[in-house]
Amino acid sequence: MLVAGAAIFFYAPTDFLQGPVQRIFYLHVSSAIAAYGCFAVVLVGGLIYLRNESAIADRFARAGALVGVVFTTVTLVMGMLWAKPIWGTFWTWDARLTSTLVLWIIYAGYLLVRRLAEPGRQAARLAAVVGIFGFIDVPIVHFSVTWWRTQHPGPIIVNDALPAQMLATFLFTMACTLVLAAVMVWIRYRIETLTDERLHVAEPVQMATSREPEPAQ
Amino acid sequence: MNPVRVALAVARKDLRSEWRTREMVPALAQFIVLALLIGNFGFQIDGHNAPTIAPGILWLALVFAGLVAFGRTFAAEREQASLEAMLMTPASPVAIFAGKALAASLLLVICEAVLLPALTIFFGTELNGDLIFAVLLATIGMAALGVMFAALVARVRARELLLPLLTLPLWIPFVVAGGQAVQSAMGLPGNYQEAIGLLIDFDILFVVLTSLAARFVLDE
Repeated sequence: MLVAGAAIFFYAPTDFLQGPVQRIFYLHVSSAIAAYGCFAVVLVGGLIYLRNESAIADRFARAGALVGVVFTTVTLVMGMLWAKPIWGTFWTWDARLTSTLVLWIIYAGYLLVRRLAEPGRQAARLAAVVGIFGFIDVPIVHFSVTWWRTQHPGPIIVNDALPAQMLATFLFTMACTLVLAAVMVWIRYRIETLTDERLHVAEPVQMATSREPEPAQ
Repeated sequence: MNPVRVALAVARKDLRSEWRTREMVPALAQFIVLALLIGNFGFQIDGHNAPTIAPGILWLALVFAGLVAFGRTFAAEREQASLEAMLMTPASPVAIFAGKALAASLLLVICEAVLLPALTIFFGTELNGDLIFAVLLATIGMAALGVMFAALVARVRARELLLPLLTLPLWIPFVVAGGQAVQSAMGLPGNYQEAIGLLIDFDILFVVLTSLAARFVLDE
């Protein structure tokens, strides 16, 4: 499974970079959508966890948050690289840019929670609540271009503003990115499972070794 | 047990302990004056630019004073393990949470009672009903979120580190809408009606969400 995952991991990006000249657009929008998807995983995972404390849901939430932050980072960096030649600046305090940055901060905070809180029910609950509240920002990011006057262009896909060839490339890239995201979440999920198992195994072993010297005294 | 009475009792308990120790209010008042002082030097304020910078300083001071206040909300509970005792009573966790939030938001209102006149004195801004109304509206939602995260991180080792990281991003909507409302209340450009509408929307959204989450936050 890991080998197959790695193959798609390295195969997929080379495939969707074969698009036409205006490449940033494809990856920029696709990874934003993939990030939304990952955060939806965090949301659903968090809700299920709060409902029945399912460790599986929690692991998926953890995996989704990490991959989502990666894709948000890709979106932001791609956007900045694109903005420099087109807008003449890396950054403007535009509604969509700002709300995306907030999104990144929220889920980076989520990852920090997972790192700083001791693993267990408390941490999982805390993270689930953060993940659920954090998701509020996703629709804000998405609709920011229609709610406020922004410099960032509005949605052009649903408005039929793309030529057919570009649309096909975009859809293909998006499909690849979503598959890539799903595979990354899956790999991460496996890693989280192994980490959890190791945590559970490690504790009794530690206790056993610490008890050993006692009879010698 | 009547949840409203539980909430009021918890709030009364918190306020009474604050009244007897007098820990938070003087500290927060000093903190706010210090924030204004730093604002003054940071922005090189003179009579000309003071009114345009004042709204920004108001929110910076309020947000950081709020973080300090909410960071302490569960300090007494943690030190004396009284939260567990409260949760053992038949009172609903949501009511306890509401009581804590009520007391914490009153603390924040006291901060504002220091901050707004201080802004008028030091920055010469107008102090009017519109301004107070906008700030109070923002307080409701900020208190709900702040207390929720304070309760969540209360038992985490790195709580001082996590509280601002988790709370600040979710306070941003209030700073966005509140900032606009305060600007227009102070006579700067901005649509007051629209900003107040947004503040009310955010208040409803976050108060509903936090009370839904309260059950999971306090329940052990």
